[in-house]
Amino acid sequence: MSDLAFYPGCSLDGLGKAYEKSTEVVLRDLGIRVDTIDNYNCCGATEVKTLNYDLSIFLPTRNLVLAKEMGSRTVVAACNGCVFSLNRANQALLENSGTREKINGYLKKAGMGEYGGDIHTDHVLEVIYRRAGPEKIRSLVKKPLSGIKVAAYYGCLYTRPKVYTRAGLEEGRDNPEHPFFMDSLIEAAGASPVDHPVKTICCGGGHAVSDREVSVGFSAAIMNAAAQAGADIIATMCPLGHVNIENNITAIEKQYSNKIIRPVVYFTQLLGLALGHSRSDVRLADNLSDADRFFAEKGF
Amino acid sequence: MPIHEKNLIKKGDLIQKEKAELEGIDVSGQWNTFMKPRVVPDYNTRVLREIASTPMGSTITKCWQCGTCTAGCCMHTDFGLREFNPRYFIYLAQKGAEDELKQYADVIWRCVTCNKCVERCPKGVRVEEVIHAIENYMHAKGMMNDTPARRWDKQFLENVLEAGVLDELMLVYKYIRQEKVQEFDMNYMMKFGFKLFKTGRVRTGPLRRRVKGWKKVRNVAMEILEKGGEKP
Repeated sequence: MSDLAFYPGCSLDGLGKAYEKSTEVVLRDLGIRVDTIDNYNCCGATEVKTLNYDLSIFLPTRNLVLAKEMGSRTVVAACNGCVFSLNRANQALLENSGTREKINGYLKKAGMGEYGGDIHTDHVLEVIYRRAGPEKIRSLVKKPLSGIKVAAYYGCLYTRPKVYTRAGLEEGRDNPEHPFFMDSLIEAAGASPVDHPVKTICCGGGHAVSDREVSVGFSAAIMNAAAQAGADIIATMCPLGHVNIENNITAIEKQYSNKIIRPVVYFTQLLGLALGHSRSDVRLADNLSDADRFFAEKGF
Repeated sequence: MPIHEKNLIKKGDLIQKEKAELEGIDVSGQWNTFMKPRVVPDYNTRVLREIASTPMGSTITKCWQCGTCTAGCCMHTDFGLREFNPRYFIYLAQKGAEDELKQYADVIWRCVTCNKCVERCPKGVRVEEVIHAIENYMHAKGMMNDTPARRWDKQFLENVLEAGVLDELMLVYKYIRQEKVQEFDMNYMMKFGFKLFKTGRVRTGPLRRRVKGWKKVRNVAMEILEKGGEKP
C-alpha cells in the first residue's frame, strides 16, 4: 500500500494517454509506488468554478475523500489544472468552516465519508524530484539525451498560487516564480536545458477554443521564446498545455512563422527515453508535433 | 512612453506632437495627458457588499489598489490587451460604478485563470477569483451577455454531469459546431480524428469512460446547481 494516491484526471485517459503511459514507466523505474484512485470523477478544472462555487469545491472533494479512504495522505496529479482545483478545494474546506459543513452535507447525500481538508495534492514532477531526484535519475540513465537542447515549459498553475500549492513555503517544494525541478531532471537525463523567459507564462489553454486569438498568441510566444533560446524541443508537464500548444502549430505557422516550430514532448517521455525505453513505450507517435521523427533521427 | 491608463484620459484630449521644440529642448511626444477628475461623491457600496458576500469575491475588500496584479497580468502585459486591467475592475467594483463596468463587458471575460495575480498580491486578494466574481455579478444583473468562455464553461459542465468525467472530443466537437469556429473545419477535424484513431485514443460517445454510481452524485450536483440558481 502506497501513501501516494494517483489522480489521472480526464485528460490522461483520453488525449494525454502518452503522458499517462510515460509517467507510469518512469515512476516504475524510479521505484515510486502510486495507487490509482478508482472511479475518480472530473475535478471541474477552471471551468466549473465560474458557474457555481459550491459545485467547484464538491467535485474535487469527492476525489479527495476517495483518496482518504484508500489510506493515502497525498494525492499525485499529473495535470496542473487538477493540482490547482484539488488544492483549491482542500484549502477552501480547511479555512472556512461554513463551506466545510455545507460540502460535508452534500458528500453525505452522495454516500461519501466526511472530509476536513487534510490531503495535499502534489504534481508528479514534485514527487519525482523529491522521491528520486536528479542523482537517482543520473545513476539509472541508460541512453543519455546528449546534445538535445530542451526548453522546459512549466505552465501556469504548477506552483501558482502558493496559498494553494504551498510552493516556496515548505521544504521540498519548487520555487513559485522561478521553478527549476524540470530543468534539473532533464539535465540529469543527459540533455541540456536552455534558459528562456516564458517558463511559467500562460499557454492560453483555459480558453483554448473559446478565445483563439489568446490561445494562438500565447502558444506562439512559447514557441518563439524556445526557438530564440536555441532549443531543439519543448518539454511540457500539463496535458492541457501540451495539447493546446501542439494543436496551435498549424495556426502559428500560418499567422507567425514556421521557423519557430519545435516538437513538443511531455517531460516524462524524455525521462522514459533516457531510462532506456523505446519510442513506442512512451507513445511518442501520439504527439501531434514532429516529436517521433525528431527522436527517430537522433537514434532513439 | 506608452500610456497604460488611456481610458482615464478624455477622448480627443490627447495631442501627439511628432516634432516639437521649446527653447532648444525637444518636447515632442504625447501632450495634454491629464486624467479625468475622478472625485466620486456618491459611492454605491451595494455593489461592493454584494460581491464581497460571495465566496469567490470575499477578498475584494483587502485590495489597496497597488496594481501588482495588473503589472504581471498575462492578458494585460504579455498579451498586451491594455483594457484588461484587473486593478481597475476592482476599483470600479469598489466604488460601485456599474455604468463604467458595463463598458468592459467584452473584455473582462478574457481572463485565462493563470493565477499570477493571486500569487503576487501583497495583500492576499485572490484577484483571479474576484475578477470572476465581478463577472458573475455583471451576468446576474444583466450587465453583459453570454460570452464565448461562459458558453464553453456551460458545455463543459453539461458534459461532465453526463458521466462524471469529461469527454474532451465531444466537448470540442459540440462547441465548434455551435460557435462555428472557422479554423477547425471538417478537413482539420478529420485529420485530428484519424490521428487519434490511429493511436487508439478515441474514447468518445458510447466509448467514453463513465463513473460508477454517478447517478447518485449527479443528483447532489443538480441540487447544488439549483440552489445556486444555475440551470444546466
